[in-house]
Amino acid sequence: MIDYLVSILTEGAIFAILALGLNIVWGWSGDFDLAYYGYVALGAYMTMVLTIGKATAPTEYILGLTLPFPVAVILATISAMLLALIVGAIALRHLRGIYFSIVTLGAVYVLYIFASQFVPLFNGYNGLSGLFDPMGDFFGLDFTTYPYFYLGVCVLVLVIVVVGVTRLNGSRFGLALRSLREDERAAAVFGRDIYLMKLKAYVLGAGIGGLGGGLFAGYLSAFNPSAWSPVETIILYAAILVGGRGSTRGVVLGVAVMVLGLQEATRYLPEFAGHPTFAPALRLILTGIVLVLFIRFRPQGLLPERRMRDKDPTGKGGVAVAVEQPIVGPALDTGVA
Amino acid sequence: MTALLEVHDLHKHFGGVQAVTACSFTAAEGQITGLIGPNGAGKSTAIDLISGFKLPDSGTVVFEGDQVQGKAPHRISRMGLIRTFQTPREWPSLTVLENLILACFNARREGFWRSLRGPTRAEKKRAQEELNRARAVLEEFGLLELRNERAGNLSGGQKRLLEFARIRMAEPRLVILDEPMGGVNPVLGERMATAVLAFITAGTSVIIVEHNLPFIERVTDQVVVMAEGTVIAEGPFDQLRNNQAVVDAYLGEMPSYDDADA
Repeated sequence: MIDYLVSILTEGAIFAILALGLNIVWGWSGDFDLAYYGYVALGAYMTMVLTIGKATAPTEYILGLTLPFPVAVILATISAMLLALIVGAIALRHLRGIYFSIVTLGAVYVLYIFASQFVPLFNGYNGLSGLFDPMGDFFGLDFTTYPYFYLGVCVLVLVIVVVGVTRLNGSRFGLALRSLREDERAAAVFGRDIYLMKLKAYVLGAGIGGLGGGLFAGYLSAFNPSAWSPVETIILYAAILVGGRGSTRGVVLGVAVMVLGLQEATRYLPEFAGHPTFAPALRLILTGIVLVLFIRFRPQGLLPERRMRDKDPTGKGGVAVAVEQPIVGPALDTGVA
Repeated sequence: MTALLEVHDLHKHFGGVQAVTACSFTAAEGQITGLIGPNGAGKSTAIDLISGFKLPDSGTVVFEGDQVQGKAPHRISRMGLIRTFQTPREWPSLTVLENLILACFNARREGFWRSLRGPTRAEKKRAQEELNRARAVLEEFGLLELRNERAGNLSGGQKRLLEFARIRMAEPRLVILDEPMGGVNPVLGERMATAVLAFITAGTSVIIVEHNLPFIERVTDQVVVMAEGTVIAEGPFDQLRNNQAVVDAYLGEMPSYDDADA
């Protein structure tokens, strides 16, 4: 039981990192990015090929280095950011709303097809394996203690991401990105370089996605096209929406509810003979129902984005009193116009 | 009076429609310049060309001695030229106070690394000063009580005032107001006229596009009349009343304006 708990908590920490990255792109700067899981996958693939060593026939893949795991994850993060820079530079130039989403969906499918069909890249459909217990030998851990260690690593990275994201959120960088989400033309009128700022947010989000992908590779110890698909992004969107778009605490809670809660709630359903896909199908149906209910009854999510509020009753005081307070939001703007 | 903005021979067409043809005028520093003309005269297109939201086919726009045509809107804004739109463009789910604070632009402070590192003591002090100034501006526009409200919840008139308040925060050299009186009642109109005059005191020159002629007559020093994409007359409003071309193109067309607002 405890092993199981450690396992799902590790997964939860990784998905929280992923959702926080996507939240910067969609929650902060307002772009409905469908390529996001591509950056996660690239982070995972790159971490694999940088750590598992030379390919032996019949497997084929690029690089095949044996770098230490943390170095590999950092390089994987950078490569996800570089790919996002290319995709974002093209897609964010003139396209917004649904047009932007379509281009990013196209980009992620190109990556997906490449990864699964072009064997010399990441060994095609068979994918990569062999990343067992990264850093385990270095710290002298065996297979019984290792899961605890890896949970600690993932939680530590999650805490670092949360701290960084919270700082940015409260800063002028975070506030200025909101102005792009709310009204781009007004933001330009008041001096904001829309393209540059959106691109920054896009690359930053993808970087966090790549980082989470690297950790995911260590958790799964193997990665192949059946382990991911572009549709996974939707699960992350569901978590953000349920938790509260733009809200850091909300997104973490959203992952707990949508990724862990729903998944684990359906895991122990009785299996119907001859219908092995019953539970996964039910999970998707439940996800859909929960999403519809939230959009209808609580579009701002469980913990809505907090906005700065002046608590000085007269509004004339000299002390810094700008603090965050929850304010119930207006109707949902999905960013897909 | 030196010219703050010089528009020279601007042309712009959309497909077969020649929206702006050989449009030239100047706006002097420290003055309120009205820009009037019938619908389809090319006023809005001219503003878009000046503020960088559309690219001119040809012609030049010189702002404070620098050519700005073809520059991106944010660059023109950073040079001190800010515009409004026909409908208020507030940032709806941000609070009124945040709307004001965001009107102050500072590229360095909004940088990624700087924001990640957290504000220095000097920056905190500056943020506090900005907050105090935002409060003072909100008080002036009667919006102080609403400072924690989401801007999207304001009424149409309050949104107009919020736009003016943002411009006061930004303190540009020149502001172009695109039909600020649209859907505004007479009492609020009075307040906005006062606010427009106060821009001059604060060192912001004004260009104002408007169909409300009593308002134009009251606040402007100089009026530019456009029709069919080009400037047909320039001068103080009183002179233009007797200009036959202006009467034919615009004033004579809709005599009801004067009556309705009297």
